Amino acid sequence: MKRVLSVLMLLFLASPVLAAEELHMFNWNDYISEEVVAGFEKECGCKVIQDYYSGTEEMMAKLQAGASGYDLVIPTQNAVQALIQQDFLEKLDKAALPNIKNEDPGFLNRSYDPGNIYSLPYAYTTTLIGYNVERLKELGVEPNSWAVIFDPQVLAKIKGKVTVMDDADELFGAALKYLGYSVNDTDEKHLREAQGVIMKAKPYWAAFNSSSYIKELTVGNIWVAHGYSSDMVQARNDAKDAKRDFMVNFFLPKEGAVLALDNMVIPKKAKNKKLALQLINFLMDGKNAAGLSNDVGAGNPNAAALPFINPELKELTAIFPDQKVLSTLETLDSTNTKVRRLKNKLWTEIKLK
Amino acid sequence: MMARKNLLLAVSAALVYLFLYLPLVIVVVFSFNDSKLNAEWVGFTWKWYGKLLYNQEMLTAAMNSLIIASVSAGIATILGTLAGIAMHQYRLRLLQMLVLAPIAMPEILMGVSLLVLFIMVNMTLGLISIMLAHITFCIGFVALAVQARISSLDPALIEAARDLGATPWQCFREITLPLLMPGILAGALMAFTLSIDDFVITFFTAGVGSSTLPLQIYSMVKIAVTPEVNAVSTLLMLVTLVVITVASRLSPAIFRGE
Amino acid sequence: MLKTVQGKVWSKYLLSLPPMAYLLIFFAAPTMIMLFASFRYPGEYGGLAPWLVQDGGQWTLDLTLENWQRLFGTDIYLRLFVKSIGYAVSTTLICMFMAYPLALMIARSGRKSRDLLLLLVILPFWSNFLVRIYAWMIIFSPVGALTRILNGVLDLFGAGPVTLMYSPTAMIVCLVYVHLPFMVLPLYANLEKHDPYLLDAAQDLGAGKWRRFWLITWPLSLPGITAGSILVFIPVLGMFAIPDLLGGTDGIMIGNVIKQQFMESRDWPFGSVLSMVLTVAAVVVVLLGSRLSRQRAGMGGS
Repeated sequence: MKRVLSVLMLLFLASPVLAAEELHMFNWNDYISEEVVAGFEKECGCKVIQDYYSGTEEMMAKLQAGASGYDLVIPTQNAVQALIQQDFLEKLDKAALPNIKNEDPGFLNRSYDPGNIYSLPYAYTTTLIGYNVERLKELGVEPNSWAVIFDPQVLAKIKGKVTVMDDADELFGAALKYLGYSVNDTDEKHLREAQGVIMKAKPYWAAFNSSSYIKELTVGNIWVAHGYSSDMVQARNDAKDAKRDFMVNFFLPKEGAVLALDNMVIPKKAKNKKLALQLINFLMDGKNAAGLSNDVGAGNPNAAALPFINPELKELTAIFPDQKVLSTLETLDSTNTKVRRLKNKLWTEIKLK
Repeated sequence: MMARKNLLLAVSAALVYLFLYLPLVIVVVFSFNDSKLNAEWVGFTWKWYGKLLYNQEMLTAAMNSLIIASVSAGIATILGTLAGIAMHQYRLRLLQMLVLAPIAMPEILMGVSLLVLFIMVNMTLGLISIMLAHITFCIGFVALAVQARISSLDPALIEAARDLGATPWQCFREITLPLLMPGILAGALMAFTLSIDDFVITFFTAGVGSSTLPLQIYSMVKIAVTPEVNAVSTLLMLVTLVVITVASRLSPAIFRGE
Repeated sequence: MLKTVQGKVWSKYLLSLPPMAYLLIFFAAPTMIMLFASFRYPGEYGGLAPWLVQDGGQWTLDLTLENWQRLFGTDIYLRLFVKSIGYAVSTTLICMFMAYPLALMIARSGRKSRDLLLLLVILPFWSNFLVRIYAWMIIFSPVGALTRILNGVLDLFGAGPVTLMYSPTAMIVCLVYVHLPFMVLPLYANLEKHDPYLLDAAQDLGAGKWRRFWLITWPLSLPGITAGSILVFIPVLGMFAIPDLLGGTDGIMIGNVIKQQFMESRDWPFGSVLSMVLTVAAVVVVLLGSRLSRQRAGMGGS
């Protein structure tokens, strides 16, 4: 009882808000190094208040309805494209961003924001396949291709032990790559072909799962999972920490995959643009940028960060792809209404049958 | 004869309680589990509770959730009780629709539409907007519970009070309200539960920095919910239980319907 | 006499106006906005396209029936509705069977223990939804005790092993679990008032316990059953979180598709269409149901 009361007391004591300047950030779940945030709070004498989202659409829905008050948002490239077109974003004052020199030029000046007028790269992930090393070895399944989640012959060996992402763009992207098309292919014939591939594989899958695959992999309930590279790094480490009798590893399919490039942007309606710029510059400092990769397992578009990144992580081409691998990766484009409606229809059909 | 029936009843009720508490036992037990995976028992630890004490965000969110749930449930109970009585006494088609439809409305649509409304009238999103939204979807639950209660009452009781010369207000306060209390209480409990656990509508109507516990917890889904969440859930349950017990000790009349 | 009538009119407005006004502002108004949205075009990047466009100095309305035509152009949405109603009906029935003995037991126990027993029903629901579902996922896990025991038993009878995780069974168990208190509470509120003398009188007349139940308790509890069924049936119909987490590859309900419209495909107009249809369908089902039960109650009472 005393314990409960003391917690209650603490709760009450905790409520008065500190008078310091506040910066509101809207970011992906678990996509920042808390240590780096603490460092920034110390430097600026301000408070960073974070809200999280777990899907581009959640964030877009909220911004599109007119929610304001965020000073810094971290959207993925196709969302940046949409936000620019809707005139939601503030032009970045490069003079306040000296650390821009640290960014890897390979990740700058991309088609979604030529000249990086509104956005600067923050981190990137790939969508790939995580797997249970021992189980796949026992069954003789070769982890190198999308066939692991799409080919019924391969799937027959691992039936009910596979999950794929509950995300039409990602799954269609993977299926299109498997068929040799671009992830941004909008040809209805090709999309139907991809739908066919997915439908044939679906009976072998356990679930569409974008939320708990890290855990299912680490516990051993699932042997193959389609998901984000940073999550797979986490699953690998968790399995190691839990001293499992198996290892979790991941691979980038040889056919290529989706690359997601996340960016820092400032909304036009932001209240504290100056502080937001200050934070962007802080996050582009090599050492701070490295914190993100080390803590979260995300790839890093910051050249100055590389020396500070855990060498073991840096060696993984699935996380830090070399030029050859990079050429097989594609970012998703923002799609128009017609394509979205078509994909949605195909997706609903997949789910219902 | 009667005893056998009571035994059967008691056994089946006990089984249902077992069903209700099976997952809860896991929640509580795993809050003491020394593994962040939250999947199998490893060893005993207090560390998640210790960590929680330093997790300012989580504690503020828990506090927000409690405030929002208490206020929303309170107001929704008043409005819902009025609606329940009105629905029973007068055939009000419009009111009946208005009470039923929010229960039927998909959460997402309600969230989006309220967000659009709040933005239209230039309201700052925060605790208030969340409360307004929660009251909206709680009213129907209270109204239906109250209505179910009234239907079982004997109308003669109220008539009799009237005949004895009670004013409508006296009649309401002294007779109707106490008789309705179990229904009102059931409605209030449901409203509180719905509010404290809502994610979708809260997500849309929350402003910057007005995070609630469900919002915090959903943001952790990706990295597998840690036992810290179990710990905060356990604590929240305890706190609510204590608050309610204390409140019912202080004013037993309210809770007993006497 | 006149005074009473006046009092009645006065109290009618006093009772109905506050909730009515609240719901008109915070429910009806935003719903109208979304109903209107179902006739608009989706914005190129999500949200809504402007409904008034300036075309060479002239303002024209840019509205469409396309979103509604899309609903009726294929049978997949109808099939989805049927499937969801199936889930909702089974959940409601199971909840009813489980809630009845519990509510009856609480209603018949002593005054003091009644509050505690009631509190015990709702207590688990003050822990977080997601945490509870994750607890069920632990229970259903293929390496978990339940699955192993079940498969051990099945093996004795020569039946093949089953997986509970990601199955319709898992989905229904969780749907029932999450909604059970919403059946128990209104049912309790109703049963609590039943006159024990009625049962005693029936016993004196020589009625057996099941007859007493069927003739007295059950018909009197119908309003409670109705309220509980509404509070379970409707929310289950629009549910998406449980199918998402536990449904596997086949567990999709109409709620998931609605969520998809607002989230993944950023198609607010079509999302509105589906939501409106779901809401109207649910309200109609409920009104029909309560009318039926009122008639049956009327018959049972007479």
